[in-house]
Amino acid sequence: MLTLGSLTFAAPWLLAALAVLPILWWLLRLTPPSPRRVLFPPIRLLFRLRPKEETPHRTPWWLILLRLIIAALVIAGLAQPLWNANFGFPRTGPVMIVLDDGWAAAHGWEQRKEAAQALIDRASRNDRQVILATTAPQASAPNFGLTPMPAATAATQLAAMEPSPWPTDRSAAAERLDKADLPANLNVFWLSDGIGSQKADIDSAFSDALQKHGMLDVMSLKLDLPLMLLPPERDPNGLWAKVERTQVGVVQPVRLRALDRDGRTLGISEGSFRTDERVARVKMDLPVELANRVSRIALENGATAGAVTLLDDGGGRKPIGLVTDNAALARQPMLGEIYFIERALAPNHEVRADRLQTLLKQELAVIVLTDHSNFADGDRPALKKWVERGGMVVRFAGEKLADDANDDLLPVRIRAGDRTLGGALSWTEPAHLAAFPNSSPFAGLKVPKDVEIGRQVLAEPDIDLGNKTWARLTDGTPLVTGERMGDGFSVLFHVGSTADWSNLPISGLFVEMLDRLVMTASGIVANADENRPLAPAQTLNAFGQLTTPIASAVAIVAKNLSTTRAGPQHPPGFYGPDNQHRALNLAPSQPVFTSLAIPARQLAADRTLELGPSLFLIAFLLLIADMLIALALRGLLRRRGALATAGAAAIALCLVSMPRPSDAQQIPDQDVLAATETTHLAFVRTGVPQVDATSKAGLYGLTQTLLRRTSVDVGDPVMIDVEADELSFYPFLYWPVTAGQHTPSPQAIEKLNKYLAVGGMIFFDTADQNLVGMSGADMGPGAQRLMELTPGLDVPRLMPIPPDHVLTKSFYLLRDFPGRWIGGTIWVEVPRGRVNDGVSGILVGSNDYAGAWATDELGQPLFPVTPGGERQREMAYRFGVNIVMYALTGNYKSDQVHVPAILERLGQ
Amino acid sequence: MATATFDKARYQAAEIAERVPPLLLAARRIAATIEQGVHGRRRVGRGEAFWQFRQYYPGDELRRLDWRQSAKSDRLFLRQMEWSAAQTAFLWCDLSASMRFASKRDLPGKLETAQVLTLALAGAMSRAGERVALLGSGERPSAGRFVLESIAHRLAHLSGQAETSSEQKFSIPPPAYLPAHSHVVLISDFLAPPEELKAAINRFAGTDCRGHLIQVLDPAELDLPYMGRVRFEGVEGEGDLLMSRAENVREDYKTELANHWDSLRQLAQSAGWSVSRHVTDQSAAKSLLEAYQWLSADHRPAVRQ
Repeated sequence: MLTLGSLTFAAPWLLAALAVLPILWWLLRLTPPSPRRVLFPPIRLLFRLRPKEETPHRTPWWLILLRLIIAALVIAGLAQPLWNANFGFPRTGPVMIVLDDGWAAAHGWEQRKEAAQALIDRASRNDRQVILATTAPQASAPNFGLTPMPAATAATQLAAMEPSPWPTDRSAAAERLDKADLPANLNVFWLSDGIGSQKADIDSAFSDALQKHGMLDVMSLKLDLPLMLLPPERDPNGLWAKVERTQVGVVQPVRLRALDRDGRTLGISEGSFRTDERVARVKMDLPVELANRVSRIALENGATAGAVTLLDDGGGRKPIGLVTDNAALARQPMLGEIYFIERALAPNHEVRADRLQTLLKQELAVIVLTDHSNFADGDRPALKKWVERGGMVVRFAGEKLADDANDDLLPVRIRAGDRTLGGALSWTEPAHLAAFPNSSPFAGLKVPKDVEIGRQVLAEPDIDLGNKTWARLTDGTPLVTGERMGDGFSVLFHVGSTADWSNLPISGLFVEMLDRLVMTASGIVANADENRPLAPAQTLNAFGQLTTPIASAVAIVAKNLSTTRAGPQHPPGFYGPDNQHRALNLAPSQPVFTSLAIPARQLAADRTLELGPSLFLIAFLLLIADMLIALALRGLLRRRGALATAGAAAIALCLVSMPRPSDAQQIPDQDVLAATETTHLAFVRTGVPQVDATSKAGLYGLTQTLLRRTSVDVGDPVMIDVEADELSFYPFLYWPVTAGQHTPSPQAIEKLNKYLAVGGMIFFDTADQNLVGMSGADMGPGAQRLMELTPGLDVPRLMPIPPDHVLTKSFYLLRDFPGRWIGGTIWVEVPRGRVNDGVSGILVGSNDYAGAWATDELGQPLFPVTPGGERQREMAYRFGVNIVMYALTGNYKSDQVHVPAILERLGQ
Repeated sequence: MATATFDKARYQAAEIAERVPPLLLAARRIAATIEQGVHGRRRVGRGEAFWQFRQYYPGDELRRLDWRQSAKSDRLFLRQMEWSAAQTAFLWCDLSASMRFASKRDLPGKLETAQVLTLALAGAMSRAGERVALLGSGERPSAGRFVLESIAHRLAHLSGQAETSSEQKFSIPPPAYLPAHSHVVLISDFLAPPEELKAAINRFAGTDCRGHLIQVLDPAELDLPYMGRVRFEGVEGEGDLLMSRAENVREDYKTELANHWDSLRQLAQSAGWSVSRHVTDQSAAKSLLEAYQWLSADHRPAVRQ
């Protein structure tokens, strides 16, 4: 082995052959290029000429140099040069690669794998076996265990490895190492992720455990350590994301992206670590209604599970119950008592209006009671208990409350009767709102001048009334009072929830106040069982992408969620039923986030390059060049010919080296042949087995009829999947419209549009004429479904078929078009001049034609036709023949040439 | 040479010959010419074509009376024929190996060109009723419609012979006996040493034959267009020659070729013959026309009739 800097020769003794080069030089110099041979009849004349100077012709020096370079390249290539080979191992035993595969390793995972692959390559060059070990806990032990295996096997194992979305557990890994029966004299390489374990001595113990078996080489990538997002905080000012880093010392900017449940970006916020900060708080600059929808916050450029933090569903969007006995009445626009409340809350929250008993059984954050709400027996204690467990009850005053001063579900005591301001018998003007006190949840909201309070209920002046007052009028009387009850709140608006007493409910302030109240509410008060299991709904992979849960994920008992640590059984992600997702984040399972205390060798991510093949290739190219030059010197190439040859050689090389372009659409040849050898009638697969079977039988019956009665030679009907199959082979598509089929994808729609544009024909059969009834004119449910099915399909204007349409005379002369049902209209395109020769690409019928055509193998009809008679079936077949003829011959029969014959047949 | 190739040459020759009027060889010493042919001399004599009726004068041969004409009137008439005399022409085409040469793929070979010229001349002459034969074929000169066919076959036969045998006898006209006052047309590249040629020409000229030489050369033989290191090889076993820079001798070669041409012309002039040169990239018709003009012209200093 010979190493020159990064260059290593695996077979350096071959380089001795370079010594031959000078001899080669001498030989080549002596041997001139062989002359060009020319037959020349008048050679006698030439014999008489003696050339003036006859210098011995020598090979030009540059040609010799070229040949020497070729020889040198071949010799160097044979010596197996390697770039960055890092040849050899210090110990004699196998090679052990310990790979940190926790979430932090997802940062630069490909480089880690490349580094490991380079080690495996090196082991294979040295004929060493390889042991692979990982440090993240796994649900099941990896099948490769801790046993030595051949390098090739290790390479395939490595290729299949993925990082895990939870932290490494090096103490468990050390235990596994202790238990394993490892050979001695190992060459151990620890590709660390650079993140320390919870305690530094775990890492040192792990490193000792590795050291015990042989020579340890700790390596880390030349990469910054990843950042970790901590669960965000919500406060009245908004949503704060928290980012943690391992090292302090520099100002480091971060960019965060807030996403909603569907993965749409809601906003991007930027912040930065101050020099000595380990944790940066970044405010997500989002309006309240958007902040409430945030389901995920992700670091902009960190693709790890730690760079994503998940929020519980309803972290912002909360379920709110509006108590009403008669939802329809209460929602009456402008007048209903919950109308304004619902309008204010519904955009940002999940609002349910129902009876109190029903609402109390659900998971709710806030229950709103208006003056009209009635309490049944036992409601008050139940509601009170719910509030004490963390719920928030918001009540609105009204006539009833004013009369009933003994309500105990109020933050303050109410004086009987109400106060009217600015009434006919009052000297006062309607009151305005004062600025909100600082302790109030409404603090900071701007008070508009035009909010006027005309009537309100008054609180008994108690000693703590001031503390309970969250909003007051300019004269100091409380407008909104609130009180903590247990873990929850009881809030009272001293005005009604309609615009009778004040115009507060119709002001923008009302919306903001309710939002603040909901935000103040503690959150969902689960009346549901705290012991219910939350099944994994979506889990993060190590790269921070939400995917379907991994196989090892199991449900978490709801009350344990906050203490659960992420691991193989519980990968970070969303748990629980839809819309009530609870988030399990990675951060709590990585309580200590520091860099690894063990010094590691920084690993360049560059790979070992085998230079041999490239050298051979260059030598080969030079050899071709040498050949061309030699030919040119012998005059065997004209100049133009030489260029052409060289060009051809270059093109050939390019073609060889170029990757084969993949065919845009790969259809097996035999399918193409089968589809194009004869004409086939085709129908669109709906995915509803019964419908598809009927279509197939129908087209079979029609095919038999065509074969019997016409010269159209059609093959067996073909089922088409508009998503996958090539349409252009089929002149005619029968498309039964059913409720059960999926809406085609945009790609399929595009394909259909193309099909129609190049002259294809689709016959939509809504098959719902039996539902429409005999009245005929209006469209049935199938037509509705058709419109849903084909959004984006380029359908021109349709019209009912005119009596002189080609379809009425393309083979048989027809007046109406019965199928299994009768009476429906055929819709055809309004002819668009010369577009597609005026042939309608789209036909829409509703008479269930396939049902009428359908026969079994023996030609027996499968379905009865209504109102009935074989004459109707015959007419259906005739229409089928006509429609196929129309698809195949277009408007041929509308040509005036046929008019006399048609008139004659019509007896006119 | 395959018959097919030869048929092609014959076809070409026929085509070219059609473009020239029947070649009437300039007749010399008509009085001495014994052979009779359709060589109309615009005067009364022995021949087959009707010339005129003449009134009978006593002393005329009675058997020459044209009774039909005489019966039309009271006088007697003689039928007189046009006096016709045929010339004899011998054609020779060099079939030696040096003729089998074409410097470029798209050029016709020298041999092919020479054969075309030979047959074209033969065709043109036989249409004029001259008696034509291939020199060295051992056949008597003949006239008539089929003479071209027979010459073509003969030529094919000979060139087949020449191809198989590498003897040099094909590069010099054979020492055949020629009737006096015949025409001789020699078609060759005339690259053989002029001395050898001189002997042959003098032999023909000795029997008072008139002749014309057509030198057929390839453009490469004219220009020596080769460059660089070239090994020239003779085609008739002359040996080979290595030139390190062929372009250096080009001018010298041209001078040498011009000298050769001069000696050839002098040789011809000394015998009262003419020389023309045909290069294979030229049209054969042009060279044919040159030969035609020479042969049909009367080069006698004076004609006694």
